[in-house]
Amino acid sequence: MTPDPIDRLGARLFEAARDEAIPEGAPRRALAAAQREIGQEIPERARFSARQKWLTATVAVAIAAGSLLLLRPKEANLGISAEPTRVARREPERRSVPRVEAPTPAVPAMPHPPSAPELLPNTAPAAVRSAPASLSDELSALKVASGALSAGDTRAALAALDRYDRVLKGQKMRAEATLLRIEALSRAGQTEAASALAQRFVEQNPGSPLVDRARSFVRK
Amino acid sequence: MPDIARPRDDVIGIPSKVLRPGISQAATRGLSIDSLVAQHYGFIWRVLRGLGLSPTDAEDATQQVFMIAARKLDEIDPDRARSFVYGAALRVANNARRGLRRRREVLGDAASDETEPESRGPEKMAELVRARQLLARVLDQMPEQHRRMIVLAEIEQLAVPEIAVLEGVPVGTAASRLRVAREKFRSLLTALRDQNPFGEEL
Repeated sequence: MTPDPIDRLGARLFEAARDEAIPEGAPRRALAAAQREIGQEIPERARFSARQKWLTATVAVAIAAGSLLLLRPKEANLGISAEPTRVARREPERRSVPRVEAPTPAVPAMPHPPSAPELLPNTAPAAVRSAPASLSDELSALKVASGALSAGDTRAALAALDRYDRVLKGQKMRAEATLLRIEALSRAGQTEAASALAQRFVEQNPGSPLVDRARSFVRK
Repeated sequence: MPDIARPRDDVIGIPSKVLRPGISQAATRGLSIDSLVAQHYGFIWRVLRGLGLSPTDAEDATQQVFMIAARKLDEIDPDRARSFVYGAALRVANNARRGLRRRREVLGDAASDETEPESRGPEKMAELVRARQLLARVLDQMPEQHRRMIVLAEIEQLAVPEIAVLEGVPVGTAASRLRVAREKFRSLLTALRDQNPFGEEL
């Protein structure tokens, strides 16, 4: 016997309700709130949380450093501004300086803005091909990625990092971007890819202050 | 779907004995806030959705439920944990809806924050959102008691004895309420059938 159309409609409505996705990360947030309520530790997540906190701190420091640069470009005589200019791009090349050295977790507050060579990449060849993204653009992209990662939205985080790579062709915050990508891949379950990227990062940036964090993602 | 295991395996007891002050059964029988959240988050969130909260409000309210549960953890009988969180959810929902009514009075009807994962495709997403909106419109017109019956029986697919325990009524009463609730639901849905989001499929 064919079910009544109203009964079929009702069944479809209930199915739609049962099928509704719980907001991503909501159970984790509820658990964290409940644990805070009773002052309970989260031992099984401690390592992961510490890693996330560290990444967030790194990006925050980077953003703070970048903001200082943007707010005080003339005073610091850095030769960069909120928007990239030809003057900035005509800065002499300084190939001996690593690309990103300014933000480190060991330096939570920077009394003075870092000098220009520390933050400026080898921009001259890129400038010939196309105008580089401004520091504020790069910082914005990483802030989006970091925020998405904190909210548990790995897809959005990876999309923001893709934009950083492909659209902005970001260089100034390259190391932080790579570390965020490693974290996002790991959290998205792509542990092999995360490990491979981490391994490459360690090999190519042996002197980076971020290398220890990257190494923690390399699968033994 | 990032869901939590539904609480089908819970052993249901008598609601009046859910709380046993002074007896730390949770500690002795291994009830933890982690396991409570893992087993019952999905159930509580869907119940709160069924009671008319938006996805975001349901998340906030569910969080409150588990914060209450965390504070009372030592007093909860592990065998009746679902009854405890269900009771807490009903109280939190009442408070949340009072707040919502005040918000609507000030701001008017806010746009729904209902969303669907993009992977489903735009047509399917729109269809599901409309289906849930129609369901909410029907449930909004039902008395609270009947609404809960529909949510527990039709959305959570609980058996009548399980519903009876959660509602704290005899099985016969639960069965009778459910029958009336289904009749009411059918009648209201018939009146709104022109809003069927599934088109010719039905």
